[in-house]
Amino acid sequence: MTSAERGGTAAGGPSELAQLAARSGLKKVGSRPGLPEYVRTLWARRHFLWVLSTSRSYSRNQNNYLGQLWSVLSPLTLAAVYYLVFGLLLDTRAGTTNYPGFLTIGVFIFMAIAASMTAGSTAVTSNITMVRALDFPRAVLPLSVALSEMLTLLPAIGVMIVIVLLTGEPITVTWLLLPVALVLILLFSAGCAMIAARVVVAARDLRNLIPVAIRLLRYVSGVFFSIEAYAGRFEWGFVLEYQPVAVYLTLMRSVLLQDVAVDPTMWLTGLAWAVVLFLVGFVVFWSAEEKYGRD
Amino acid sequence: MAATDDAFEEIDFEDDDDLDDGAPERAKQDADAERTPSVVVDDVHVRYRVFGGRKRVSGPEMGRIRAMFNRSRRHVGAVTEVHAVRGVSFVAHHGESIGIIGRNGAGKSTLLRAIAGLMPTSSGAVYVAGTSSLLGVNAALVSSLTGERNVMIGGLALGLTPAQVRERFDDIVEFAGIGDFIDLPMKAYSSGMAARLRFAISTAAVPDVLMIDEALATGDAEFRERSAKKIEEIRGHAGTVFLVSHSMRSIERMCDRAIWIEQGQVVADGPAREITAEYRKATKKG
Ligand SMILES: Nc1ncnc2c1ncn2[C@@H]1O[C@H](COP(=O)(O)OP(=O)(O)O)[C@@H](O)[C@H]1O
Ligand SMILES: [Mg+2]
Repeated sequence: MTSAERGGTAAGGPSELAQLAARSGLKKVGSRPGLPEYVRTLWARRHFLWVLSTSRSYSRNQNNYLGQLWSVLSPLTLAAVYYLVFGLLLDTRAGTTNYPGFLTIGVFIFMAIAASMTAGSTAVTSNITMVRALDFPRAVLPLSVALSEMLTLLPAIGVMIVIVLLTGEPITVTWLLLPVALVLILLFSAGCAMIAARVVVAARDLRNLIPVAIRLLRYVSGVFFSIEAYAGRFEWGFVLEYQPVAVYLTLMRSVLLQDVAVDPTMWLTGLAWAVVLFLVGFVVFWSAEEKYGRD
Repeated sequence: MAATDDAFEEIDFEDDDDLDDGAPERAKQDADAERTPSVVVDDVHVRYRVFGGRKRVSGPEMGRIRAMFNRSRRHVGAVTEVHAVRGVSFVAHHGESIGIIGRNGAGKSTLLRAIAGLMPTSSGAVYVAGTSSLLGVNAALVSSLTGERNVMIGGLALGLTPAQVRERFDDIVEFAGIGDFIDLPMKAYSSGMAARLRFAISTAAVPDVLMIDEALATGDAEFRERSAKKIEEIRGHAGTVFLVSHSMRSIERMCDRAIWIEQGQVVADGPAREITAEYRKATKKG
């Protein structure tokens, strides 16, 4: 809002109207609140965030006869297709003992993260009418995208657990870590959504690169093959292993599959990625708060 | 919102005497310099950035090559700025209701968005006392969800808490007057019913400054009367109301002051009846 200030001071000192406003104790609209103030208003709007997220993931499946049943059916059909292609036709089973379980976890979790990034990138631009009609902290938009993708993931997690059990995995204590892993994934995707939303507002052409980036991520994150088994051959294989998406897939697998060990370094890496991306994303998004809504 | 622009140009308001005699009286108070300002608009400019289109720059003297170059520029890197509001200044006071008139595309909606702080100004500033809200809750509503659910979404979108929405739920449904339809998805509503529900939701939270952008045009006579009462109520609480309407009669009935905007600039600002008379004369001629 630098030009706005210029308008007021061009004639030397604040304009007559600005002085009148100051005398009557009026507040200037549309200036960006400080970070603590922003967090406070965001917290006050948490119910709005929640309702927006739930209605978004609910209305997605409301338009056909089977309705909400599709929240379970679509991940199920997707898992079957992937198993057919990668398990039977291409056979990328090397280094895994329970490939159906391995694949299901990979596909579902990756899908949720990718969906957050895709929808997050247009969180502001596709809700522009709302931005131009209602006053709320704009971070609600990318955050609700991440949250609603997480809510959509929950039925898929149910399907995932059934598949894992059917393939003969026992229920162990490590299953207790499932919610922790989900929270980390949520924080990470929320951070990605906020960054993507901010970047696309600044340079909307970059939106077209997001599907490309996601495709790349899909192939380097070990969605349908074990990174350890394939990338271990390269010197820089550890880069692949410790990039965030791969970390979260590994975390989920170590929770549910017996042959993937729970590795503390992996969990710390996952925690670090989540916290860093969320905080950076939040600040990056907030820094342009007063600019959203222009186009 | 834009769709209503052309469809409801001149909607007649039923004569309603108790509202009628209030307006001139308030106009007299206008001269009173002691009233405190509630909204100060200081030389505001607003620009839109538009992608995927470019205004044609052509003249008879333009060469063939330039013309061809220009044509191709319409498809690659086509970004145009629309200068929608060009240096508007005015002061509004507590208890005042101001009609904003002007042709389609004059910049009325954009100006309201800027006052509500929803559209960044490219220069100039807007100062407001207290909370302001643009009657634009429809942007948050989900047509595939029930009216009941939408009351919650809309209420929260306006900044109410869930408890406050629940508390006011019956009043909202009563005010909207849509009965059992509250349990059906909003896409099953007629446009008038949807407008009633939207108005009911948006006025459930009473702001200090309320802005209404052609939201009343779709209602029936009964609803228009109810909304006029609601506007009076807000003004009674020392609030300020901005009303955009193409119906000069409703501006005269509900506002004591009017601002006429043309091409993003103020043409005239003064007592509602004078300004609407001028506007009528100007539009008849053109
Ligand atoms: N979303 C938008 N993107 C680009 N230009 C817009 C947009 N909305 C309005 N405009 C332009 O701004 C100007 C004023 O529009 P608006 O404020 O909607 O007028 P009114 O409400 O008086 O009919 C018009 O020239 C219109 O073309
Ligand atoms: Mg308009």
